[in-house]
Amino acid sequence: MSEQTVTRTDEEQRSNSLTVDAESDERLVDSWTEYEFEGEAAITVEDLDVYYGDDHAIDSISMEIPERSVTALIGPSGCGKSTFLRCLNRMNDRIDSARVEGTVEVDDENIYEGDTDLVQLRKRVGMVFQSPNPFPKSIRENVSYGPRKHGDVNVGLLGRLLGNDDRDVEREIVERSLEQAALWDEVSDRLDDNALGLSGGQQQRLCIARCLAVDPDVILMDEPASALDPVATAKIEDLIEDLAEEYTVVVVTHNMQQAARISDQTAVFLTGGQLVEYDDTDKIFENPESDRVEDYVTGKFG
Amino acid sequence: MSGETASRTAAPAVDAFDRVALGIVGLAIVTFLLGWTTLFERTSPDTAVAGISLFALFGAAFLFAGVGLIASGIASNVGLFETTADRYTGLGTGVGFGVVGFATGGLVATILFGVGATGNVLAGLAVALVATVAVAVLPEDLGTTLPVGLLAVVWGALLAAGLVDVGWVWDPPSLDAAFHADVVVPLVTIALSLLVVWSGAIVSEGFGSQGRQNGAYMLIGLNAFGMIAVLLLLILFVVRKGLPKLLEGAQLGPGLNVSVPFITNGVMMGQQYNGVYPAIVGTVWLVIGAVVLAVPMGIGAAVFLTEYAEQGRFTAVIETATNALWSTPSIVYGLFGYAFLVPRFGNTDSLLAGMFVLGFMLLPLVVITSRESIKSVPDEYRDASAALGVNQWQTIRSVVLPAAMPGVVTGVILGVGRIAGETAPILLVTAGSPTPSRARSVLGSFQFMATPPFVKNETLLQASSALPYQLYAVISTGAVDLGESFGWGTALVLLLVVLGFYAIGIASRIYFRRKLHQ
Repeated sequence: MSEQTVTRTDEEQRSNSLTVDAESDERLVDSWTEYEFEGEAAITVEDLDVYYGDDHAIDSISMEIPERSVTALIGPSGCGKSTFLRCLNRMNDRIDSARVEGTVEVDDENIYEGDTDLVQLRKRVGMVFQSPNPFPKSIRENVSYGPRKHGDVNVGLLGRLLGNDDRDVEREIVERSLEQAALWDEVSDRLDDNALGLSGGQQQRLCIARCLAVDPDVILMDEPASALDPVATAKIEDLIEDLAEEYTVVVVTHNMQQAARISDQTAVFLTGGQLVEYDDTDKIFENPESDRVEDYVTGKFG
Repeated sequence: MSGETASRTAAPAVDAFDRVALGIVGLAIVTFLLGWTTLFERTSPDTAVAGISLFALFGAAFLFAGVGLIASGIASNVGLFETTADRYTGLGTGVGFGVVGFATGGLVATILFGVGATGNVLAGLAVALVATVAVAVLPEDLGTTLPVGLLAVVWGALLAAGLVDVGWVWDPPSLDAAFHADVVVPLVTIALSLLVVWSGAIVSEGFGSQGRQNGAYMLIGLNAFGMIAVLLLLILFVVRKGLPKLLEGAQLGPGLNVSVPFITNGVMMGQQYNGVYPAIVGTVWLVIGAVVLAVPMGIGAAVFLTEYAEQGRFTAVIETATNALWSTPSIVYGLFGYAFLVPRFGNTDSLLAGMFVLGFMLLPLVVITSRESIKSVPDEYRDASAALGVNQWQTIRSVVLPAAMPGVVTGVILGVGRIAGETAPILLVTAGSPTPSRARSVLGSFQFMATPPFVKNETLLQASSALPYQLYAVISTGAVDLGESFGWGTALVLLLVVLGFYAIGIASRIYFRRKLHQ
């Protein structure tokens, strides 16, 4: 069965989408994705479809992401999990061919409604990318980049002349963000060094600090540790778990052990941009409802 | 062919083989360098070492190298040494020697037998065909050594026997030109040295893939070295010709008083030392004006085309158009300025018109290089900035442009080198007297007013001289009788001014790079 699943073409996939999957003999059951949890939902997604040109990348996904927790999105390459993640802060707007339908509510506001302020949205929903991408600036400037550009911190010449220099505020933000990102101890004595001189793991934590500096509610991470060595990966994983105490973290990962280690709930995407199962992480990894998910998490397929 | 006899090979013999090959390579490098220096009159063909003239030394070197190469090739082929030669030399090398054969065959036929144009082409083709086929099917150890060795032996014998000596001239009846030994010998020597180096390098690594690698490495390396050598020799040539004039009447001291009249004087009747100061000032102002006009416009256009405009037919057309503009001859720009700008700027040649024309010339290069360097800024920076909610313009200003600046500056440096030396547009839109006595004082003639346009500068609307234009006038028109040495002095000053702009450009590039990486 597993081989059949892998070799199916997208065309076939689309033709028997949603309900019946003839070749795998598996029916997608709505209740598998209806995840019950206590507390508030930070993000509510309803009937989300994404198309890249003619390509149907996300197929009618609905899910609620609980706040102050780690949600892992796993699945094979090309299953649409990164696309889904990028929908949550409208980064897909930057791709010309992408078309998004459905609703995504952050704090009970549909972010795909016409008058959404992208600046405000992305301040609330931050993002960390696969490969560390600090700016070629000093560590301090990297962290304070967001607040500076949003005018929350004013360190310009004019500010200094008018006597409302925010250097103290900036210092506070830099220190707090770096501490939250578990990087402060390593860089506190060289904040004015170029960020490109840091190691890969440090760079990635700097990117997390840069994201935290604008004080978001939600942090989206797109395979944040896939470009890092095991030690750096472990640090990032610890950090993610800590961050979940204050923030809602959504992590896309290829690494199932990583998802099992760090997440509270896991959503499994399979080919064709479908959300197959979404539940407590323990449940997904120990006793999933779907056979295909079981094959995937036990390594028989994918 | 060599594999079967490998067991017979003794280590000392291989050592000797290596040494001969390295000796040949070393010798050829020496002749290569001496060829260049002779071509640029740094060494004279009459230079004699221990009573032997330079050309005869070349001859001896080539004889030794040629015999050595042939011997090595044959020795490897009959199995005296263990080498890793391939079975065939291959068509690539064959065609290469075909080209060499075409040139050699054609020349020899013309010089020796005086056959007509068709005849020497046919002779060349015949030799080329034979060389190509023969080299291609020969075993590698013969194919890479024998042709080069034969050429070297023949050329060496000609030189050593004095058949081609200092007084040798080839005066083909079909051409107006005559070829003298002091040019021909160095040129052939340089070309042949490259071949010998290539062949020797292959031999020294025992043929095979190692040998080909080494041959290519030496050939390319020596070529690059030759390029730099040409550049240095060229600069040395100008310096040697121009320096006496530049330092004429120059005084050092007393104290920190340095006076170089050639740089600080204009041209005046009855003045002891005439100079190029007004032209220097003219050139500097022209370049500054052009840069001030072109750089902001060019960067702006590049930002729009790369960051905002949708990539498609529109940007493709613009790109082609900018490339075409950059290759447009400067006289065309000059004529445009003459017909369009000059009538609008007071109907007289003026500095301002020159600035505009040179600015227009600089613009396409700034656009092209800025686009390239903006494109090469990683998209990750833009994504990271967008994900923080920073808008596109702020992203461009604080992340994209700083990262692109070193590339932009490189483009401006290249462009300034070109426009600083432009003569044709200056001639048409800026030039007044080529050798004025006083420099234009641009900064001093700004006037501010309470009524629009609030500022005026009469000097910008007056004609001025410039270094390339003055050089042209002094050397070629004969209208100004200051002598050729004055021209060489001007050339040297122009070179220095351009190098000065380069230095400023490189310093600012280093500054921008440092900002990115420190």
